Amino acid sequence: MRLVVLVVAVGILSALVTIFVVGFMLHRPPMLNAVANSNGEGVKIHLEVVGSVNSAIEFPRPTDPHPTWVSYLPTTILKVPANSLVTMQIDQEDTPSGLRNPFWAQAQGIVGGTFHMTYFDNSGNPQSGDFSSLDDPANAAHTFAIPDLGVFVPLEGVNAAAPAGSMNVITFSFMTGKAGTYHWQCFVPCGSGTIYGNGGPMQTTGYMAGFLVVQ
Amino acid sequence: MAIAAIGNGGPSIQTSERQMVLPTNLLTGIVLAAIGYWAGVQLGNSFGFNDGLNTGVLLGYMFATIMFLVGLGFANYPLARLFGWPVAPQSSYDEHRGAWRYLNLSLDHKVIGIQYLVAMLMAMLFGGIGAMLIRTSLLSPDQALVSPDNYLTLVSMHSVMMIFVASAAIVGPFGNFFVPYMIGTNRMAFPRIEALSFWLVPPAIVILLASPLFGGFPTGWTGYAPLSEQAGQGFDSYIVGFTLIGLAICLSGVNMLTTVICLRAPGMTWTRLPIFVWGVFSTSILGAFAAPVLASALSMQALDRTINTSFFISSNGGSNYLWENLFWFFGHPEVYIFILPAFGIVMELIPHFARKPLWGYRTAVVGLLGVTLLSWFVWQHHLFVSGIAPALRPFYMLSTEMISIPTGIVFLVAFGTLWRARISMTVPMLFCLGFLFNFLIGGLSGVFLSDTPSDVTLHGSYFSMAHFHYTIVGGEIFAIVAAIYYWFPKMTGRMLNMTMGKIHFWWMMIAFNLAFMPLFAAGILDMPRRVSTYLPSLQGLNDWVSIWAYVLFSSMIFLAINVIWSWFFNPKLAPADPWHARSIEWQLPTPLPERNFARIPTFTRAPYDYGDPQGARPSVDLGPEPAPA
Amino acid sequence: MSRTDRTHALRLLVAWAVLSVIGVVIAMQVHLPPGNQSQQSTDTTSLLQLMLIISTPVFIGVVLFILYSAFAFRQKAGALEDGPAYHGNFRLQVAWVAITAVIVFILAGLGISGLAATSSGTNFTSSTQPALATASVGTSTADRLQVQVIAQQWYFTYRYPGYGGVESLHLILPVDSNVVIHVTSTDIIHSFWAYQLGVKADANPGVDNLAYVTTLQTGSFTVRCAELCGIWHGNMVDTGGAVVSQADFATWIAGLQKAGATQVLPPYQPFYFPSPRVKGT
Repeated sequence: MRLVVLVVAVGILSALVTIFVVGFMLHRPPMLNAVANSNGEGVKIHLEVVGSVNSAIEFPRPTDPHPTWVSYLPTTILKVPANSLVTMQIDQEDTPSGLRNPFWAQAQGIVGGTFHMTYFDNSGNPQSGDFSSLDDPANAAHTFAIPDLGVFVPLEGVNAAAPAGSMNVITFSFMTGKAGTYHWQCFVPCGSGTIYGNGGPMQTTGYMAGFLVVQ
Repeated sequence: MAIAAIGNGGPSIQTSERQMVLPTNLLTGIVLAAIGYWAGVQLGNSFGFNDGLNTGVLLGYMFATIMFLVGLGFANYPLARLFGWPVAPQSSYDEHRGAWRYLNLSLDHKVIGIQYLVAMLMAMLFGGIGAMLIRTSLLSPDQALVSPDNYLTLVSMHSVMMIFVASAAIVGPFGNFFVPYMIGTNRMAFPRIEALSFWLVPPAIVILLASPLFGGFPTGWTGYAPLSEQAGQGFDSYIVGFTLIGLAICLSGVNMLTTVICLRAPGMTWTRLPIFVWGVFSTSILGAFAAPVLASALSMQALDRTINTSFFISSNGGSNYLWENLFWFFGHPEVYIFILPAFGIVMELIPHFARKPLWGYRTAVVGLLGVTLLSWFVWQHHLFVSGIAPALRPFYMLSTEMISIPTGIVFLVAFGTLWRARISMTVPMLFCLGFLFNFLIGGLSGVFLSDTPSDVTLHGSYFSMAHFHYTIVGGEIFAIVAAIYYWFPKMTGRMLNMTMGKIHFWWMMIAFNLAFMPLFAAGILDMPRRVSTYLPSLQGLNDWVSIWAYVLFSSMIFLAINVIWSWFFNPKLAPADPWHARSIEWQLPTPLPERNFARIPTFTRAPYDYGDPQGARPSVDLGPEPAPA
Repeated sequence: MSRTDRTHALRLLVAWAVLSVIGVVIAMQVHLPPGNQSQQSTDTTSLLQLMLIISTPVFIGVVLFILYSAFAFRQKAGALEDGPAYHGNFRLQVAWVAITAVIVFILAGLGISGLAATSSGTNFTSSTQPALATASVGTSTADRLQVQVIAQQWYFTYRYPGYGGVESLHLILPVDSNVVIHVTSTDIIHSFWAYQLGVKADANPGVDNLAYVTTLQTGSFTVRCAELCGIWHGNMVDTGGAVVSQADFATWIAGLQKAGATQVLPPYQPFYFPSPRVKGT
């Protein structure tokens, strides 16, 4: 009789462990659907990049388990239609970290080869312009890159002279092709405190790693 | 050269007689472990290292394990000796009685064997669930079910859990249970160390299962630095869990070697030793000497992750090659730790079911020891494309290919035993034949991998993954299942249902081969290991594999049902010798008495003397002591 | 050997011979990857084919023996007879060990000669000869097209030191050329695997690992990472690698040089130590 109790207890324990592990494994960040672009051409996605989740301005995530991690907000799983023009607006609020490979300072794979950026110069004055690359790779804070689509866009860090709470707004467009799931990532080693800067948020979906779901 | 056996009466194991502050049992152990974990975390984080809070978690796990062992009662006897408290010979093996014995510190090798068996089966269950999740995720290349960071944690946990199982699943249950019987003694040389080697395993399993709570880890079972040093606190589970298992292997190895060398009964010479004992013996040599290398390498990783040393960080003067070499110097003997006892089981069972002596016994021993020796000299074959000095590659290619010579001896001996035999196709024998088929494929694919030019295409691909699954699952797991069906009646007093057993064999054999054979093709067709996405053209292949993997898992559940029903719900007692075998454990009654032998037996012949023209002569003298003249 | 022994042995040998011939013929028809795009992949393909052909009789022999014993050497139903008390046959054991040893040494010899002709690697310096170079791979690394593969988490980029250190997203190689590939990493361990070219070399931080390719045919090839490197390891794939005609290669690389990307890049080095090691320090 006691043996039966033992076997049943072990069975329940195993089931609980299994449910816990499976629950962990299946957890994914939410998906963001692209909305139709206001000027009628394709779709648009608006993202925010922050130096730490708890300093988010537009898309706060108060219950995030890693409030000090760098992150793209609101989420990193983006859904866009196939064979269409996707316009991205990225509000970049983080300070510069610098690219390890300066090759990524060039924008590649975007429509017209240029991105439009509003930023702050060394005196703290707002400026804007169209660029095909960053002047100084050391000024990069992050990149938005979809390697399988050949899209690589550097995101300049907010100048130290800019007023608090400033952001650089980078806008660019690219074309999607056939349906599929494409990963996207950042090429700046911005995982603070991790070896070579590529741990932590860089390797966790929902922060600096995600998918472009093309359907 | 057998030292005289341990006494004629009583187990003569001494224990402390002092009542401890808390009764020492599993519950005390769990409570103290929780306290120890909390204390370790507080202490570790109080140092204020720039370490991502790894020090706290590492110390927490270590203190938790130590307090768990103290709570179980491991400290009682050492403290008694340290402080001069009274000790006395134990009148029986355990202070606890009944089923509670199995959940506590027991010095009875039979109880430890059963504890190991259950722990290994449970760990295999958890690892198998991980495998099912992996195969489900691989049903499509679009990474939709499990995101890639969680997928890597899944792969890592499946692989590390299965490594824990494979390291100890034969020596633990069957080695500990049967080696004392086979050499004719009442106990292992160091019962407390034997118990310790078991009780390190549940903490290792729990610590590994705790890893997702800290974010998991992405490195697979090889833990390559510096990727491992990028990982968060989840990787600390790997460090502590693997160290505990390494310790368990090392302690069990030392214990087993001492037992076999020193405690053999009169007449049990080295040339009469059952081949299973030789298999366990050769594994123990590897375990005792390779596991410490792992433990030291893991300590270096721990230091890198806490006090910011740079053993494996090349930009600060360290080298990633250091980890690769240290790990594989352990890792290659480790895989022979998996397979040598499996060879022992297969070569042990075939003579009994073929009713013929083991053909070429001495050659078989030379084969086992040859594998043991050569396994130290091949580890760089895991590093062929890593950028090692080119002059090293021919040497390691040669040494790796040479290891197939002693391995082939196992097939030679098996064939010689099967030749002109009278084979009974019992369930254990079916699994032994299945082992031979699967290990043949595993071994041949190893030759493909050992050839450096072809390894350039095959390394790090699904080909290598199929190779080691064929050798470990098709080899070792099949041998373990054979041993379960064979020895279950003696260990538990109940027979497993043999009709279910035959169904299980065909179910498992077909599912296993259909699941893993296509993976060789996947590897040759450009699919690397540990990936959750692949070429769309390989989706059909992956779906086929996943379906047959589910069938394989269900066959193991079928075995579990057989085990649970037969053990706990079948009242019929098994006969003492259901296989009509001649080895000593089958000459003893079922159920086994608590004391193995009232009088230490004398061995007169080897256990495989079937076909003796003088009719069946006993190989061991178990009779009462002759009256004095 | 008794007459019954000889009967069984003869039956087995004949069956093995027949089945092995059939098996080897089938094995020779199997079209194995990775193909003929480079000398290295051609050599790998023929080596894999050879090993398949050698394994076939071994496989057939073992399986045949197991199946034959399972049927021919069965215990009669209900009986419990012992088999003959054969303990061993010294000559047979020695013969088996000797034959397996000979096969092993032949395979090892083939492998070593294959090593001399295909990719070899060295580390820490890029100026020394690979230890087992033969004339077919070119006698000097200076004659060859130098390409550097920079592995980073999680994409490979390629630099051409002989053309001003220009960097590109895809690996383009001219046909009929001897190429030496310098593989290095800027962070953790990756592995550069160009499948159709039959090349694999680990990318280690702070190390210049060499691999040799002699391109034979034009066409595209896939580059993958073959060493677990974190979350996007499986996605670290580039299907844009190509072997093109020498004229196309010259045009392409001239275009890269003109694109002005070179000004932004640091000078070519055999390896790059990542810095900072930890962000924020």
